[in-house]
Amino acid sequence: MVWDQDKEATKDNYASQTIVLDQILHELDTLNIEQKNNQRFRVDVSAEALPALLSLLKGRAGYTQLSAISCVDWEDEFELVYHLWSYETKVLVSAHIRIQYTPAVYVSVYDIYTPAGFFERDIYEMYGVYFEGSPMMEKFILTEWHGPAPMLKSFDTLKYVNDMFNWQEYQPDWLKEIQAKGGKVVS
Amino acid sequence: MRAENYQAVTHPESHEFELNFGPNHPGIEGNYALKVRVNGDKIVAAKADGGYLHRGFEKLMEGRLWIQNIALVPRICVPDPVPMEMCYALGVEDLCQFEVPERANWLRVLQLELSRIAAHLFTFGGHAATVGMYSNMFWGIADRDLILDMFEQMTGGRVYHMYTIPGGVRRDVGVEQLDKISDLLDYLEKRLSDYDNLFFNNKIFIQRARDTGILTPKQALSWGVTGPNLRACGLAFDVRRDDAYLCYDQIDFDIATETAGDALARNLVRRKELAQSIYIVRQVIDYLKKDKSTHIRCQIPNPLAWKVPAGETYTRVESSKGELSFYIVSNGGEKPYRVHVRGPSSMHAVQVLEKLVTGGRLEDVAQIMFSLDACPPEVDR
Amino acid sequence: MKDVIPIQTNNTETIAVSKNSKNIYQQAIDTFSNFCRARSLFVLHYCTGCGAIELPPAMTSRFDMERLGIQPMVTPRQADILLITGYVSIKTLKRVILTYEQMQGPKYVIGICSCTVNGGMYWQSYATAKVLSEYLPVDMYIAGCMPRPEAVLTGLQQLMKKIEKGEANSWENYFKRYDYYLGNQQHLFGDTWHTPTDILEEARHYHLYGAESTGNNTARLIKYTVEHDLTKLDAPLREKDSMTKRGKK
Repeated sequence: MVWDQDKEATKDNYASQTIVLDQILHELDTLNIEQKNNQRFRVDVSAEALPALLSLLKGRAGYTQLSAISCVDWEDEFELVYHLWSYETKVLVSAHIRIQYTPAVYVSVYDIYTPAGFFERDIYEMYGVYFEGSPMMEKFILTEWHGPAPMLKSFDTLKYVNDMFNWQEYQPDWLKEIQAKGGKVVS
Repeated sequence: MRAENYQAVTHPESHEFELNFGPNHPGIEGNYALKVRVNGDKIVAAKADGGYLHRGFEKLMEGRLWIQNIALVPRICVPDPVPMEMCYALGVEDLCQFEVPERANWLRVLQLELSRIAAHLFTFGGHAATVGMYSNMFWGIADRDLILDMFEQMTGGRVYHMYTIPGGVRRDVGVEQLDKISDLLDYLEKRLSDYDNLFFNNKIFIQRARDTGILTPKQALSWGVTGPNLRACGLAFDVRRDDAYLCYDQIDFDIATETAGDALARNLVRRKELAQSIYIVRQVIDYLKKDKSTHIRCQIPNPLAWKVPAGETYTRVESSKGELSFYIVSNGGEKPYRVHVRGPSSMHAVQVLEKLVTGGRLEDVAQIMFSLDACPPEVDR
Repeated sequence: MKDVIPIQTNNTETIAVSKNSKNIYQQAIDTFSNFCRARSLFVLHYCTGCGAIELPPAMTSRFDMERLGIQPMVTPRQADILLITGYVSIKTLKRVILTYEQMQGPKYVIGICSCTVNGGMYWQSYATAKVLSEYLPVDMYIAGCMPRPEAVLTGLQQLMKKIEKGEANSWENYFKRYDYYLGNQQHLFGDTWHTPTDILEEARHYHLYGAESTGNNTARLIKYTVEHDLTKLDAPLREKDSMTKRGKK
């Protein structure tokens, strides 16, 4: 693998990029590519085809870095977004998939990208989406939390806080003086 | 004391012990914990334990207006808050299709690079303290404070500035202020040789840090290492250059690299970046002095009824710790539908730290953590 | 969420220490020890939140806490002041309480940042505790997001004055009103919450055991310790302890 830093090499990265993506498109028929700008591509793919797409992108197109996996709760299904960055062509590809709400289960891509371990564990904690085959599915951040997965849209954090906590009254003298003159706290 | 606390511990045959390294430990960076398994002082296994700084940022941001989130965002990473504001602003601008004035972009670079200098000075101090050299900590933090003074004069905030907003910056910086920053840079440049003598060329530090926590380029790439830690392995990747944002494509700077990949190399990369950041800030000051425009912000809608068009965007910024990115989804409403924060330390402080620490010695744990510049609030969010 | 224990509202009146019962020599010794105590304070080195970023400047060359006789200390057993620097997540709050109970009296708690007063910036958050004084007796709050090092130093100086006058006695409330604090802790952590430190026994040791030390919440704790057979283990230790017991006053 050649790590080329020359600016010249990146000039026609867009052209080469479309060629590689075109080839992959032919191999996977359930693919929809949208180009946002020279360095951002959005790929919509079916959930079954994603692991194959990722291994192709990593093996053939030089997408060595998994930047992040984001999860979005659309209340009837989950969207998982895999952000891949290529150090060679300087292009970011976001692969979007949709998975069903219950049971929320998907396969791990840890064997393709090691950083996936952290993100999959995080999504499992925050959304309850289980990743089969991921080596670290135990809790990390919410080890002492027993409620529902907090990032779900159905979890109302404000209601939880009002049920759980008290508020402290704050009535300093300066506020009383202002209130005596007819002022008030705007909320 | 209850007796349960005093029960005799039966030692396993292998003489391996569990040790809680943190959260209340002077060697740990921030409020974070590592559960290490030691045999003598050799570490057999390590497991990171986070969540002590969890505030549920991503949930909070879904419940607040786009404009309110400007105040929330910098608090994600305490030592280096400016890239967080920047990344959020870039995302919102991308969704709203704002045309940001040129001057605002240069002012933002000024903030970003000063923040990088401050964060690196802070890290040097921390790292020096882990190898028993406290003077450097005192110097680094005192010099960082001078930069905080500049921030205070420019933005009104010492640590959190909320200076960068979607569409531009909050206020302009005058020539007098630029002169002050210029003087400060002169001072910092003079100090660099002092730091070299005290710390970077110091035999104690070099012997402790050399060959500690070695990362090979291949490992670094496969474990998702970014930023100075990646550059210390000889790979010259920098978001500022590769995925240029703001006006970094018009600025001349070198990407600092080292080849060894150990704790020493990671620190030397930061040391070189300090000089590069000073060089960048000088260029920015020259530009700002020549530039006569006063346009620092584009027209933004009524902040209390600000609806951002539906869409999604992924923005990346080079923070002092590595690649920071935000994934922002809007459904066309007054509040973000989803914001995902990918802090660089979420890689460094969990998987990479666990792997680097294992096989090493107990006294190097703190040093490795500081050399990776892991920032726990970014991990926990 | 889990059922149970209602949160209790704070009745703010503190229980006064009767000074008149002491004779003039005891008072003189108290005054002298308070004078010394105020000039040698060790701050526990535990950062719970963002406010911790302003402590290094306050400790090092520029603002220099040490000229006031205040130094960081790494072990809770030898520390006098517990600085709660910023928001405490519920996971951290458990560790903070364990740490606090390990500290030896007299001990002082300072809540730095607005988050310790009323949740601050994170008032909506499911993960952070809101009012610190419901879980620990707090001597002083330093508000701000975050307070500058000058504010931290001013706060510490005020605490020194309070100590010198013998007014910083809120640590005694933890023993006198243990039931109240324990109740709120149980509300947050569940009714199986217990710590390695036997606060009621320590309260007797310090002669601070009062009417409000026990109640429904401590009964719940005692029931738990009995069920899990923690009291029986405790017995031989208590005997040993009573032999070496020294009166505080």
